[in-house]
Amino acid sequence: MKLHSVLTINDEAREVLAPGAASLLDVLRDSLALTGTKRGCNHGVCGACTVLLDGRVARSCLTLAADVGARAVTTIEGVAGVDAYSRVQRALIDAGAIQCGFCTPGFVLAITDLLTRNPHPGSEAIREALSGQLCRCSGYIKIVQAVEHLAGGTHE
Amino acid sequence: MQYIAPHSLDEAYRALEASDARCLAGGQSLMAMMNLGLVAPSRLVSLRNITSLRGIEVSADGGLRIGAMTTHAELAALEVAAAGPALLAAAARVVAYPAVRQWGTIGGSIAHADPSADYPVALVAVEAIVEIGSAAGVRQVPAREFFCGFFETVLREREIVTAIHVPPGPKHGGAVYQKLSLVAGDFAIVAVAAIAGPRVSLAVGGYGPIPLLVSGIATTDDALLSAGHALANATVPPGDHRASSAYRRRVLPELMRRAGRAAADQRPG
Amino acid sequence: MSDADPAIGASPPRLEAGDKATGRAQYADDIQVPGMLHAAILTSPHAHARIVGYRTDAARAMAGVKAIVTGADLTGPRSGGIVKDETMLARGKVRYVGEPVAAVAATDATIANAALAAIEVDYVPLTPVLGIDEALAPGAPLLHEEYAAYAKGIEGTGHDNVVWEAAIAEGDVEHAFAQCDVVVEGTFHTQAQHHAYLETNGCVADVDAAGKITLHVTCQSVHHVQQRVAEELGEPMSRIRAIATRVGGGFGGKHATNIHSIAAWLARAARRPVKLVLSRMQDFEIQRSRHPARIWIKTGARRDGTILARDVRIVIDGGAYADESPPVLTFALLMARGPYRIPHVRARGQAVYTNKLRAGSFRGFGNPQASFAGESQLDDLATQLGMDPVALRLANAMVPGDLAFGGQPVPSCVARECLVRVRDAQRDAAPLPPRSGRRRGVGYASVSHVSGLMGTAATVQLRSDGSVALLTGCVDIGQGSDTVMVQICADGLSLPMGRVSYARQDSDASPYNWKTAGSRSTYMTGRAVAVATIEMREKMFAHAAELMECAAVDLELRPGGVVGLRGVPDLAVTFKEIALRSLFKAGGPLAATHGFVFDGPGFDPKRASLRQLAFANLGVYTFGAHCVEVDVDDATGEVEVRRAWCAHDVGRAINPVSCEGQIQGGFVQGMGYALTEAMQWNEQGWLVTATFADYKIPGVLDSPPEIHPIILEDPDPTHPVGAKGIGEPSLVGAAPAIANAIRHATGARVRALPMTPERVLAAIDTLR
Repeated sequence: MKLHSVLTINDEAREVLAPGAASLLDVLRDSLALTGTKRGCNHGVCGACTVLLDGRVARSCLTLAADVGARAVTTIEGVAGVDAYSRVQRALIDAGAIQCGFCTPGFVLAITDLLTRNPHPGSEAIREALSGQLCRCSGYIKIVQAVEHLAGGTHE
Repeated sequence: MQYIAPHSLDEAYRALEASDARCLAGGQSLMAMMNLGLVAPSRLVSLRNITSLRGIEVSADGGLRIGAMTTHAELAALEVAAAGPALLAAAARVVAYPAVRQWGTIGGSIAHADPSADYPVALVAVEAIVEIGSAAGVRQVPAREFFCGFFETVLREREIVTAIHVPPGPKHGGAVYQKLSLVAGDFAIVAVAAIAGPRVSLAVGGYGPIPLLVSGIATTDDALLSAGHALANATVPPGDHRASSAYRRRVLPELMRRAGRAAADQRPG
Repeated sequence: MSDADPAIGASPPRLEAGDKATGRAQYADDIQVPGMLHAAILTSPHAHARIVGYRTDAARAMAGVKAIVTGADLTGPRSGGIVKDETMLARGKVRYVGEPVAAVAATDATIANAALAAIEVDYVPLTPVLGIDEALAPGAPLLHEEYAAYAKGIEGTGHDNVVWEAAIAEGDVEHAFAQCDVVVEGTFHTQAQHHAYLETNGCVADVDAAGKITLHVTCQSVHHVQQRVAEELGEPMSRIRAIATRVGGGFGGKHATNIHSIAAWLARAARRPVKLVLSRMQDFEIQRSRHPARIWIKTGARRDGTILARDVRIVIDGGAYADESPPVLTFALLMARGPYRIPHVRARGQAVYTNKLRAGSFRGFGNPQASFAGESQLDDLATQLGMDPVALRLANAMVPGDLAFGGQPVPSCVARECLVRVRDAQRDAAPLPPRSGRRRGVGYASVSHVSGLMGTAATVQLRSDGSVALLTGCVDIGQGSDTVMVQICADGLSLPMGRVSYARQDSDASPYNWKTAGSRSTYMTGRAVAVATIEMREKMFAHAAELMECAAVDLELRPGGVVGLRGVPDLAVTFKEIALRSLFKAGGPLAATHGFVFDGPGFDPKRASLRQLAFANLGVYTFGAHCVEVDVDDATGEVEVRRAWCAHDVGRAINPVSCEGQIQGGFVQGMGYALTEAMQWNEQGWLVTATFADYKIPGVLDSPPEIHPIILEDPDPTHPVGAKGIGEPSLVGAAPAIANAIRHATGARVRALPMTPERVLAAIDTLR
């Protein structure tokens, strides 16, 4: 049985017809062709499916699409707005922090959430905020360095 | 699968009358189980719109009534002096990962009753009371009796956890929650929740689905180690792919000593 | 970076970083094709069983089911690596829990899964063997009763449950041990590690009206996928095309595999596109792991620290199919001596079949296992000799001009320098106090590895505006090879990088490349690119010489696509003019291709006794060293890596930032191997660690906030740019360095991986 709903995705109203048990991740990727949000494990550990829900990090694989309601969803496709890149995206690119790139959208959103709440986090706060995002390629060093740079903190 | 989002508890109880209906709180545990094919409810009753399930009330004696839909993040952000609430906040801070803490709820977590979860240990240590609602009314169950097996609680069909009552704990008390896990954010191999007044109560997790509790321990190294050895000798914790039963028993005395001493050090003055 | 800056040695952002940062990059599961069906795989619930029947009528009758395939449909020859022991789906027998038995393509995933549930397979369970000893026990149940009849690329000495046996020896170890003053001996165990790339394996198999299959596939070689699918479908390669999608990590786990053939088969049968993307659980259960290993090792030295002899026996657990067990075993034996000039060495080994998913290629390829044992034992030897572990290593380290184990000359060797650099870096670093109540240890490991092997080619073409098109078969699996190849080509033509296009890998259009593996891409494909670029330059100079009426030897490249006459600033022609001349006047379109098979010297059978090695020559030796600081909680056994220094010789750092990223990422993946990662099976052969909830890879809080990459450049003389490789060595050094640091902190030697708190505490307890 499919449910009809209207979701607010990246400031746009999007109509969705999806099975009742569909996750927000399923709906984004399969119904709305917004494939920037990734399915890494589908059980809430890797963070590749991270989106912002009312501006706060959420694992879209653990979010029932039907339960989103009127809450605003921001995906990687909506992060840059009218620019080519947001400053978070730019910082990751410039720091050499992107290797295979599969974890990158999730990190972009987690970093965006962090810096919105705390524009100048220290290293501990940065690592804590990113603790739910797995990366298998980078060893995390350059990702954290990119955020430190944005935070105006220590950088080489 | 049907989805219903009632605005009142009464509506929720009625919605649960369908067979194989489950509550959806924050979804951080339930959705993972659904995605892995472990459960497939025919109806999900979302508690998101029931305002009476939200909110934290602080009572005059410093205890809390925590609405079941309170998120881990909201609990983690509590700055409270009373030892009981402080212990709960400490446990909330180390649940899983930031996104899970943002949306996961205490009610959903304890109803799920993962034997390696953090809240059960903290709730047993502080002697919390779980408030359970149904169409028939409200009942209260001490935390120690609420958890009865692996992913099993005393919740009956069509009952919902509505709130958790956390006593203030000892006056001028201190509390800590410490967990030993393979990686950060993982379930605990062994967890110890300690709340200290003149004496210490310690709850231990990782020793099966029901946290163990010892009370009235003196805050000295010897007393804590002794209590730890006694507990380790009297119980047989499970072994799993994270650690063996023998290892869990081996580390318990020192972990209890550390948690007990740290809780004692947290006492003001 | 301006147009005039040379590209090599700079660190321009990766070409595709913007796409990855914005979510535009297309990975396999992002691909949607009109009319696409969804595939689902039915897997074996038994670790070892005969298949005696299938019933698929109910599934076939379901609305929306468009194709079903079972082992009963397969009649062709077996496929595989050196030992062809595999079939696309289990045929006649299942050999591990999770082995694909049947597959369905349907209009959506729900129907596909319902159809799977309706397929009945009749099994007669057999006794499984789940470990090395069980598999080798006399009278053990055999996994491959027909092993002797299997086609083999190299005749091996497999028998019973032994897939392969091999040996390398130099000198006379028995005699040499008798001359030693100190001898240490020990047995080490390593576990099955999973690649745990963030993107699972999968593909979309498209089909055209004539039945030609095109796979959009996350993989490490389009040519391998093409070859394997063609083989398993019984089609010529001209009717199977593989195109690489963006790849979300590989590490050796995305080599050609049966799931590509399954998707292609279903697409061919249904005459519709089919998407087959594994769930995380299925990827853990179906694909590959690193070889668990048991390593017995004995090393002997004179009182003055000269190491005279080493004897090693390695048994690797290859799982249910041979896959790359023969070369992994061979490489482990080759690496067993380590970067030391030990004159008498014997390394013998076996690869064994067991009823678990197959083990195969994984970053390090046998070296992590060998080095964990060898480098751990070296510290034990140092203790027995009363020597500092670094001093012992320095005293025995290889030097340029030495021969590697097996006889290959090693003209370039900076083993000593790497060790000195990490030792000095740690000493010079600001002291970091240990965490309260923890014991601090500092540990070292020396690493040698090999970059190279097999064949590759590159083509450079000139476009009509003077832009250049570069084509290679080298798939970028996230390590940055796309950018490096373009840097080499752009540098060779003094062009800005934006004037070099780089096509994604397509088996119909790309020059052959063996695969992205073995730390070989920068050395092998990079070398092909460099040589092809030089040839293109020569061809352009020939045209320019005609245009300017001068001799080609007097010409020079100028930045920005210009060829000028040396010493005459005003006399020049542009690449565009050359291109137009070639297209419309004389000579025809300009293209240059260079292809080669690794052509360096290999083993020397006059020096070393070589038995059943799975390859004849290999590649270029590289060297490195690690130093780590750890804090150990000696009451719980918990280990925290606080800081690491990793020195690696890359020959020439074409993109230094990418080299750093590879070193840091390899170290953390090696740290996971060292401390927390283990695939575990229960007694029935079920994988109990089949999700990220149970298989724990390091997160940011588990990883040290400081991993200092130290890049050394000792150019390789056979490469026009001097480059070697970096992909694997940084993983190899992590576990032994951490083990040695734990020993330094506590006195306890842990001989099994992962070094979980339980294992570390047990080792500490033996000293109490």
